[in-house]
Amino acid sequence: MSAAKVERLLNLSAALLAAERPLTASEIRRRVPGYPEDLGSFRRTFERDKDDLRQMGIPLKLMEVEFEGRWTEGYRIPPEDYALRDPGLEADELAALHFAAHAVRLEGVSSAEALQTLAGERFGAIEEEARVIEAAGDEPLARVPVDERLMRLFGALVDRHPVTFGYNGTNRTIEPHRLDYQRGRWYLSGHDRQRGEARSFRVERIEGDVAVLVAETFVAPAQPHPGVVLRSWQLGSVEPVWAEVAVDADQALSARRHLGEESVVGTDDEGRTLFRVEVRNVEAFRGLVLTFLDHAEVLGPPALRDDVVRWLEALERS
Amino acid sequence: MNDPNRRGRVTAGDRVRRLLSVVPWIAAREGPTIEEICARFALTRAQLLADLDVVFMVGLYPFTPDELIDVIIEDDRVFIRLADYFARPLRLTPDQALALVAAGSSMAPWGQADPDSPLARGLAKVAAVLGIDAESALEVRLGEARPDLLELLRGAAAERRRVELSYYSYGRDTQTRRLVDPHRVYADGGQWYLDATCHLAHGDRLFRLDRIESATLTDETFAPPANRPSPPGDEGVYHPSAEDPRVVLELEPAAVWLVDHYPCELVEPLEGGRMRVTLAVSAPAWLERLLVRLGNDAVLVRADPPLDTGIGRRAAGRILRRYRR
Repeated sequence: MSAAKVERLLNLSAALLAAERPLTASEIRRRVPGYPEDLGSFRRTFERDKDDLRQMGIPLKLMEVEFEGRWTEGYRIPPEDYALRDPGLEADELAALHFAAHAVRLEGVSSAEALQTLAGERFGAIEEEARVIEAAGDEPLARVPVDERLMRLFGALVDRHPVTFGYNGTNRTIEPHRLDYQRGRWYLSGHDRQRGEARSFRVERIEGDVAVLVAETFVAPAQPHPGVVLRSWQLGSVEPVWAEVAVDADQALSARRHLGEESVVGTDDEGRTLFRVEVRNVEAFRGLVLTFLDHAEVLGPPALRDDVVRWLEALERS
Repeated sequence: MNDPNRRGRVTAGDRVRRLLSVVPWIAAREGPTIEEICARFALTRAQLLADLDVVFMVGLYPFTPDELIDVIIEDDRVFIRLADYFARPLRLTPDQALALVAAGSSMAPWGQADPDSPLARGLAKVAAVLGIDAESALEVRLGEARPDLLELLRGAAAERRRVELSYYSYGRDTQTRRLVDPHRVYADGGQWYLDATCHLAHGDRLFRLDRIESATLTDETFAPPANRPSPPGDEGVYHPSAEDPRVVLELEPAAVWLVDHYPCELVEPLEGGRMRVTLAVSAPAWLERLLVRLGNDAVLVRADPPLDTGIGRRAAGRILRRYRR
């Protein structure tokens, strides 16, 4: 941590906020004190400073400007994007948000500062309550893991910038629409530009870093993204088939969780719970049914029932 | 954020952000005291003075005195006059915004679904400031658990009331009834857990909420345990111990997905894309499930201590009896 760098970053922010038009790199070099004399060192330091400002959430905008007779890149921080708009939170809303943020913590991120900033002068109204909540339990209800890439993805989602990253050995350009945290993992869903369709990605499987294409913005989708579907038997390319499955009463609870409440259709005369499940992947469906051992039975259609029977008979004969 | 080198160390960026909150706050007031400022922003006096020292040098080109931020410290009060550019606080960083929206979203079981709840209203306002639709942009599911069960167990833990559980033990494939003293309910890795002292097992256990079929409050209370070791042994999630049996499986290429989904202690690639893996076995039912799913794409080659290698075959026969009735 160096005071000189803090000073330079503040001066850079001030210059770009106060500028009426975008400033070019050479103007910045002249107007902001603290940069190295050497041009190459200046460029490297300036690149790092730009990254630092973006990391801090300062909206540094890049645009083409005409400077001394030719087009060149210019930088500006639009004051309307920089400043926090007052969300106008009421005391009960602030308290509820405070409680939620205290109960569910993102690893390594403090929400206290964010709440104070959002609350502005109204923070005094909940300060006492906030202290009580904080004193009541130091153990949160849940901790949710986060990493730098997730922050970048969320920042890009909010600002509607496309992102690029490596995934399964290929480079992807994605318009990020949605983040989901399910079964302990983060997923990104968005529009895949190369493939021209919606795709979902596991954030921890992203290879290397996430680059945000800050010079571009995309238009928000007309239809909200439904989010990631984690039922593997529904992830397939074949035409969907509706399977009927009977599960013993003592396993019905676990089956309801796996298959979804919406798939329960009733009970039979043996007291078994009946499910109707959409299947697009036969192997994954077989795996699902077999985790219930002899507590579940595929009733139909015949093709799916036969698949399970043939599989088991092959194993029985081995 | 997960970079251990960054944690706990104040970077230049952190200081700049802090100043961009502190400076407009002071400027909007008639000389707040150093003590007030330190209390409001959780700073020490030394930190604040060091920060203000930097602000003396900030301004606009050509840095004539009238273009520099004016900082006066007098009688322990701070006065700042400045150009308009730093007058308003900086918007939220992505991580701050994410922390709030994610925490709000994850509290859905407590009535966020009700659009008139204070949480839902607050979340919608924060999302509006960010320019996103909170519901379609981000969803955090901490785990599958019935809200009424969560409430009951959290209430019981707070009041130290004994609870009767009907619990499905996955590894043993059995349903049991037991009395427990609930200590804490929490979510981790996409699952909800109850940390409790179990009177059936005579010890501390971690129960998965999605395997609790029913829970009933009893009239009995319990005394808070002294020096409870934490975390207790885990009833739902398996951590292999040295005493558990080990099995060696040879996998056909169609079955090597197992390596990504189960904790293998040893993985040896064989010719033709096949693999040999060593796994710890928590309970017989667990191994049965695995073997019937793998079918003839896996061969149980060895077990230590020795185990009936026909276990998968017999499980298949047992399931088939249901289909042959």
